[in-house]
Amino acid sequence: MAAFASTAAVVVAGPVVLPCRKGARRCVAARAIAAAVAAPAVAGRTHYEVLGVGAGASRGEIKAAYRRLAREVHPDAGSGDGEGFIRLHAAYATLSDTDQRARYDREVAALFRRAAAPASFRRRTWETDQCW
Amino acid sequence: MAEQFYTVASDSETTGEEKAQQTFPDVAIGIDIGTSKCSVAVWNGHQVELLKNTRSQKGMRSYVMFKDDTLSAGVTGGATKEHAHEERDVLSGSAIFNMKRLIGRMDTDEVVQASKTLPFLVQTLGIGVRPFIAALVNNMWRSTTPEEVLAIFLLELKALVEMHYKHPVRNTILTIPVAFSRFQQTRIERACAMAGLHVLRLMPEPTAVALLYAQQQQQLLHDNMGSGIEKIALIFNMGAGYCDVAVSATAGGVSQIRALSGCTVGGEDILQNVMRHLHPNFDSLFAGHTMDRIKSMGLLRIATQDAVHKLTTQESIEINVDLGGGQKVSKVLGRAEFEQVNKMIFEECERVIKQCLHDAKLAPEDINDVILVGGCSRIPKIRSLVLGLCKKADSYASIDVLEAAVSGAALEGAIASGVTDPSGSLDLLTIQATPMNLGIRADGDTFAAIIPRNTAVPARRDMLFTTTHDNQTEALVAVYEGEGKQAEENHLLGYFKITGIPAAPKGAVEINVCMDIDAANVLRVFAGVVKPQGPATPPFIEVRMPTLDDGHGWCGQALAKMYGGNLDLAVLPKKLQP
Repeated sequence: MAAFASTAAVVVAGPVVLPCRKGARRCVAARAIAAAVAAPAVAGRTHYEVLGVGAGASRGEIKAAYRRLAREVHPDAGSGDGEGFIRLHAAYATLSDTDQRARYDREVAALFRRAAAPASFRRRTWETDQCW
Repeated sequence: MAEQFYTVASDSETTGEEKAQQTFPDVAIGIDIGTSKCSVAVWNGHQVELLKNTRSQKGMRSYVMFKDDTLSAGVTGGATKEHAHEERDVLSGSAIFNMKRLIGRMDTDEVVQASKTLPFLVQTLGIGVRPFIAALVNNMWRSTTPEEVLAIFLLELKALVEMHYKHPVRNTILTIPVAFSRFQQTRIERACAMAGLHVLRLMPEPTAVALLYAQQQQQLLHDNMGSGIEKIALIFNMGAGYCDVAVSATAGGVSQIRALSGCTVGGEDILQNVMRHLHPNFDSLFAGHTMDRIKSMGLLRIATQDAVHKLTTQESIEINVDLGGGQKVSKVLGRAEFEQVNKMIFEECERVIKQCLHDAKLAPEDINDVILVGGCSRIPKIRSLVLGLCKKADSYASIDVLEAAVSGAALEGAIASGVTDPSGSLDLLTIQATPMNLGIRADGDTFAAIIPRNTAVPARRDMLFTTTHDNQTEALVAVYEGEGKQAEENHLLGYFKITGIPAAPKGAVEINVCMDIDAANVLRVFAGVVKPQGPATPPFIEVRMPTLDDGHGWCGQALAKMYGGNLDLAVLPKKLQP
């Protein structure tokens, strides 16, 4: 083992090409941009939906849900590629902080109001149409 | 020796234990390369097993001995040769040690400067390049590099595991100090690659301990002794080279790292302080590296090491050592005096702990367990300091001070290799956090942190930037890592240009810089123009960091000299962001 031959091998190794690591994922720019415009409810899922808890969930429930889901989506424990964990952690980070959670709740409520308003307006026109 | 690695046991000889080992031939081994001592552990199918060398040591002295045309590392300790190495052989100038303190550092680094009093040669020019290190072979200095020394050591360590398990080893989990820069991490990976080892993960030492703690808490739960509620642990690790602190929140086998902090302070600094105290002319006397001076330096080191160890249990120690050449050191060193001499070190430890608690947004009262690991945690002053800051009477007892980190690394090795255990003792997860801010240079020389420290990994964050000149078509993205407010105070990891930016008044273009860290801690930076959009904008660029090699101390200055502020970026003010 300690013979010179092994040393020579080390010295000769020279420029080392690091092998590509397991789980290394290529992230396309488009995805990066998508993340850039992360609105309160990305892809229709609220932070509550990501964590699978109700809007009235306590901090303890949120933490427990985060831990349970982390075991499923974290690349070290489950089969995720990291995307799922980033989403999960963002949801947890927002909802576990009282101030951030309150701000998030207001934003989501405003979003739903905006989404709800044109819908009800359309329905009214549709009803009016029916009356015609 | 080599042919033994692949010896196949005949069927009649195959025991149950060997069958279990054969089930997991690809399990990654856990390695803890310490500044002073190394250890290796493997998940053997039932539990973590620490391997012993031929001298029955679990902690093997970290050094490589250069002699004539043969080399031998501390794993075998020269046991296969005519005589086993003693500490005085290690200090004879023929052995290189403290690799972990030297690896990936430039010659302007104060840690490298402090290493000049080691018995082997550390030569610096102070211009921001790699230091020259050399070992004494037949009265001549023979040059080597920390990476090469580490690779030789790892080769011997790998052979030890292969001999024990009788199958080749490829994957490994290494523990590293929190204070290691990404540049140093690439050096460790290169040393591993030279030794034929593929690094699955580099784990900050206290986070490996956190994983072991999570397993123990799960075990307590299984035995109906744990409560299952979240437990906050402060892990303090101090070895010969580095001091690390982590705060983790553990429940249900998941250990979330809430904060990490570390510094380059360790037993080596304590040793040097005491040597300087015992021998006031220490620096001037040993600067020459002549044969007799190396010898007396070795004698002083051995005596001081012994004194520091004994002071952990004794109130005072008498030191009597003849250094040769008419020089003698005789002194009685008391514990109070020892603590006074190392006051700065204890203050630094205190700062790191306070920083970590602050970052974790926790008060001492929130901590359930204080875990002390590493050789220096045996020093009474360190124990009382950590426990005092955490307002605890005693530390967590069911963890071995020297074996915790390597055991955690072996656990992670099994988990990352996809091994599952029917009893559930591998249903564990550590959610890592970034130890340092990651960002780019913007607004002049300001450091704009994109991924702040203590962000959960995997992570992706982005930030919008804009141009600083009218019709600026190119912008430089210089990526840094560190805690400084100014970019130049941090480690430069790499840089690249965004070209083909559409001509527009300054501040009108939006440039997105996104940083992505995957579970294997690989950092990628994506950058490109997001506004205006259209066929005229260039595609995004993806760069894996770090891109820089040696001499990166110069690059920042060279860039500034060449381009001035022509390619600068500015952080897009929040009010303009969508």
